[in-house]
Order: sequence, then C-alpha cells, then structure tokens
Amino acid sequence: MLILIKNANIIAPQSKYHNSKKDILIEDGIIKKIASKISSPKAKSINSKNLHVSIGWLDIGAVSGEPGYEHRETLESLSSTAAAGGYTGLAIFPNTDPIIDNKSSIRFVLNETEDHLVDYYPIASISKDCAGKELTEMMDLKKHGAIAYSDGTANITSNGLLLRALQYAKGDESVIMHNPNDPSTSNGNNIHEGIISTQLGLKGSPSLSEVLTLERDILLSKYAQSKLLVHNISAKESVEKIASQIDKNITASVSYLNLCLTDDALQSFDSNYKVSPPLRSEDDRQALTKGVNNGKVQIITSNHIPLEEEAKKKEIVYAEPGTIGLQTSFAGLITHNNKISLNRMVNCMAINPRKLLSLDIPQIAEGEKAELTIFDPQASWTFNEDTNQSKSRNSPFWNKTLSGKVIGVVNGDNHYFNTY
Amino acid sequence: MQDGRLSTRHLLGIKYITTQDIELIFSAAKQFKEVINRPIKKVPSLRDVTIANLFFENSTRTKLSFELAEKRLSADVVNFSSSSSSVKKGETLLDTVNNILSMKVDMIVMRHPAPGAHYFLSQHIDAQIINAGDGTHEHPTQALLDAYSMQEKVGNLRGKKICIFGDILHSRVALSNIFCLQKLGAKVRVCGPATLIPKHIDKLGVEVSYNLEESLRWCDVANVLRIQLERQDIKYIPSLREYSMYYGITKERLDKLDKEIVIMHPGPMNRGVEISSDVADSDHSIILQQVENGVAIRMAVLFLLAKDRNDLAA
Repeated sequence: MLILIKNANIIAPQSKYHNSKKDILIEDGIIKKIASKISSPKAKSINSKNLHVSIGWLDIGAVSGEPGYEHRETLESLSSTAAAGGYTGLAIFPNTDPIIDNKSSIRFVLNETEDHLVDYYPIASISKDCAGKELTEMMDLKKHGAIAYSDGTANITSNGLLLRALQYAKGDESVIMHNPNDPSTSNGNNIHEGIISTQLGLKGSPSLSEVLTLERDILLSKYAQSKLLVHNISAKESVEKIASQIDKNITASVSYLNLCLTDDALQSFDSNYKVSPPLRSEDDRQALTKGVNNGKVQIITSNHIPLEEEAKKKEIVYAEPGTIGLQTSFAGLITHNNKISLNRMVNCMAINPRKLLSLDIPQIAEGEKAELTIFDPQASWTFNEDTNQSKSRNSPFWNKTLSGKVIGVVNGDNHYFNTY
Repeated sequence: MQDGRLSTRHLLGIKYITTQDIELIFSAAKQFKEVINRPIKKVPSLRDVTIANLFFENSTRTKLSFELAEKRLSADVVNFSSSSSSVKKGETLLDTVNNILSMKVDMIVMRHPAPGAHYFLSQHIDAQIINAGDGTHEHPTQALLDAYSMQEKVGNLRGKKICIFGDILHSRVALSNIFCLQKLGAKVRVCGPATLIPKHIDKLGVEVSYNLEESLRWCDVANVLRIQLERQDIKYIPSLREYSMYYGITKERLDKLDKEIVIMHPGPMNRGVEISSDVADSDHSIILQQVENGVAIRMAVLFLLAKDRNDLAA
C-alpha cells in the first residue's frame, strides 16, 4: 500500500524536517521517502490546502465504555473516535465495569484492540474497584500490560493509600496519575464557584478544593520521590503551584476544554458544559494557557468521557459530568484558543505524553515506521450526526462548525482518513 | 395596563426580566389588589387558559397563592405534586411535563428542587413557564411581592437600604430579592453567619455583613429569611439555639434602634429562631400584607403572560 502526503508542513521538533514543506511517501507502513516533490501515480494521494503532519497524537485519560457501558462506547468506537480526532495512541483510564484492576481486565483490553489502528496502553487502577481502600496488585498489572496507575475519574481521599501507591510504583518507575479534587469541599462539581455559580444559585466547586488536593499530592510525591501526573488541573492557583515546583517527578496535564471555554457557558444550564474538573473563569483559562505555553503544564488531554443522553438531558444538578473530547480536542483548541501554537500542541499531545509514559517517540524520517497525524488547521467541519464517530454525543460542540480538521492518521500498516 | 407587554414569554427569574417588566407587573398588581378586595373577587381574564401547577417540592402558601390567583382570573387549574426523590428515581422531568402538556395545558407554574430546572424546560417545551421556586436559584414572584410590599410601606425604593438576614446560601428568595431590588435602585445588604453566605455574593454588588446589630442600624427594611434546615445537607450552624441568640431578630434588639424599620419574612417562619413572635406580630411587621400582595402579584404575572400568548395567537 502506497500513501503520498502532498505539500505537508512538517511539525516535528525533533526532526531535521521540522517546519519544512515536503511530500512524504509511505510504503507498507514505512516512510520511504521525504522530498520536496515526489511523484507516485499508484499511491493514494492525500491533499489539503494547508496540510500539516506531525507524529501521531497520544491521549492520556480517555474513558472507554467497554466493558460494562457498551451503549456509551465500545473499544471499537473509541478507536474510530480517536483516529478521527488524530490520535494513534490511547492510555485509557480504568473506569469501566468491571474496573481495570486485575490482569484479566488488562488482557481483555489489549486482546480486543490488538488489530486496531490505535495502540492501547491501559492504565490500571490504584485501588481495587477504584474504591480508595486497598492497593491493586500493581506489579502483576504492570507485567500484563498496564502502563501506569490511576483511579481515573475517582478521587483518592486517603493520604495513606496514595502515599503507599506512590512508594510501591517507584519500584518499577511507573507513574501515578491523580486528578486533584477534594469531594468534601467541591460540592458535587456542578460548576466553578464564582460569580456565575452565585448568579445561578448553584453550589460551586471552589478552586480551593483542587489546590488543597494538589498540594497534598505534590507533598506525597516528594516524600516518596515517585513520579506523579497531576491530571487535568483547572485553576489558576494550581498553575501557580505547579510553576513553583522544580521537581522532575511531577508532570501536569490540562483538559483541552478548560483551555477553550469558561463557566460563562453554564449560564444556559446546559449540562454538556458540566465537566470534571469544572470549566472555571476566564482568568483560570488564561493562566492554564500560559502554563501550557511556558512548559509548566506539559500535557493536553481530551478528557473523553462518553455518556448516554439519559445521563445528560436532565436538570444540571442531576446530570453526570463529562463530555466526549477525542474527536474535537484539536478543533476545539484551534477554534477557541489562538494562543497555543501548533508546535506547542504537538509537544503537549504527542511528545510529552510519550515521554511521561517512557514510550518510544516516533520519528519522521526515511526508513522509520510511519506513525503520523495529518491535519489542516484552517479547514472547517461540523461536528454532528454525520461526522461523529463516538457512540455518545455529549459534547458542547454538537452541531457546531469548528476550524481545524484532522485529515487522518497513519499507524504502520493501518491508516484512517476522515471523509468529511 | 392593556397596552403593556412583558419582554419575556416565561417568568424564569428576575434575572431575565427588565425594570420595565417589574413596573408593569406592579401596575397590574395594583389593579388586581383592588379586584380581590371586592365582594366578587373573580374576573374572566384567563377563561380559556389551562394552567398546571407542578410542585416537585413541598409548598403550602406559594401553591395556594398561585391557585387562588389562577381561580380569580377564571383559569382552568390542574395540580400535580410529587416529591423530588420519586421523580429522580423514575420518570424524567421532561417526560412528566410532556405528558401533562399532551392534555393541552397552556401554562405551567412549577416548583422544583434543581436550580435551572425551569430554564432547562424552557429549552425543550412550548408552554409558558412560571418559576415558583427552583432550588437555591430564584423565586421571582416572591421577590416581586416583597418589593411591591416594601414600596407600599416606604415608597419608591431608589436609594432605600434593604438588608436580607439569615440563610442566604440556601435561599432562592435572597437571590431573586437581590436582582429585583437592585433593578429598582435599592441598596442591598446581606447579613448572617459566614457559613450561610455565598462566598462570591459581593460580586453581585451587595454589601456583606456578619454583624446583626450594625445591619439593623443600617437598614430601612429587614427581610428576614427562614433557616432552611431541610436544604442543608451538612450542618452550617452548630445549633438553632446559638443562631437565635446571635442572629435572631428580637424586640429587644429593635428597641435599641433609634428608628423604626420595616420587618418582612417570606414564610414559613421559625418563630423563636430567626424571628421572635413579638416582632413577627408587631406593627413593624408587614408579613401578612406580603401574603395578600402575593395573590395580586401572581394574578398580574399570569395575566400579563397570558395576554402575550393571546396576542401571539391573534
């Protein structure tokens, strides 16, 4: 199979082709040639007016519906959604039913997705059943394919449990991931506590409830001298706290949605804007953007949480938090945040996640395996019934036209190109 | 009042209406107050209108007040009551309301425990909606009747000092009162223990005080709110005993003031907790006038919204 990517602006900070415009010829999953002009009549030709290429993107923290919630998302639909959104790798959270807390669950995910275009890196839970009580068999989980440990969307309130997890994971230099949130002060995480929540009469989640936990998590990580991903921060104060750290063990991520939107969107009581962590103020959004741009926040995530209509189409306090994000993360950022460069996005969505997980970083060079995302930041498309690849549709961008389109992905012998 | 039209199809909250709307409602209410004090209290204005009163949360006076207002305007009225828990477990709000609307109902008066429930509903159904209280968000007709009663007692509210005392955090009345009084030009303050005052309420342009005596000295009107024990999932105050000692409005405290202030309470009162009986029953208190004005205000709101509907139909 021959694929010819025409006139590609190559965004690959670690490659000699970085920022150059080239044709790329792929043969049987290998980058055969990179040159200013390549002619290959037999090849499938990929064109777009403002075509860009980077290494394939990798997301940390997407939630799969399968097993347990197949009506929300199957592993197959998750892969399609990820590929349509430009991802070739997924490190998925363990919040399924059953929870990914034993080797059978890990093997299930890996076996089911073996022939998928997208590479799966399951994250095993820290505690059994994500209940926050007992540690899982972390070493065994790692041996059978777990890439890291996290209770995902569940918060760990026990200091002792998180400390022991950090200490235990240190043995194999694995990463512990935790979303900082103190449930006893976050009031159900319906909305950021501020003027909007006050006007709407909703009990808000103060930035305090994130910072309280974030400070604890950093202290525990330092004590254990163990790797921690402070997953999906949302508050200005968190960025400041992270920025004051000089600790190679601590990495921070942010959900793309928190870089795009603010709590102002909740004026309409639309539960598609109810997410965890909550959308906060414009000040917070700007601080997060700054944190991404100065390298203090190293990873941008999709925070992909598929939910059925019944869980969302209700009064906001009863609706479950979460939105699907894999297919709209790039377009959302291009449309709603013009402060983050393509270079920075590729760093935060492809390179830094692999560095954190100690994965090899694909190279854009002749003779290398092709693991590429092809996109056009100026093309527009509409996210709707025709284009959506997920089984769910809980998105604030539903029926919205967005700038920034993923053209497709190549991962070795597998490739996928959007038809919209 | 025949020429006046509201700027909105629904009454979802004071936040969503204009000062002109408020003035229009007050002028209609004045005429309806006259009507309900006649020997024959009924007018035919809403003869062809069917109204469903949907109460997903307990209510006595608001429900009764709306029902009386509807009946005095000759509307056809149906009532539905359900506890929030049963709804949460079973049918969705949207399904419940759509079922009722299938029986050809024109307007909905609803009380619901979830903030924004009415706004949510207005995005999905065609009927006109009147908010009779949505959780800790708004209770617009209460704010309208409060402001109307204040005006009756102290005249134009521009520059008047109104203090809302008590459980601001769990109160929909407080928020609607703030929006309404500000639109009418009053200065608004809230006073209570810090755990019962939303942290960012000052950003709405209200003063915040934790000092009862000082706030009583400051204000022209004291609107005393009920301690909403049923809406407190955790304890925000150590005891009612302590609350009544430090934040209860008592005759002794009012006697220390060098002026007379107007005392209001949206009810139901916890006598001896936030307000003592001798204050509630005193000449300063306009609590029962509030209740009377409630019917007139609700008649005005129903009439003006239904008028909008008829105009559209024509």
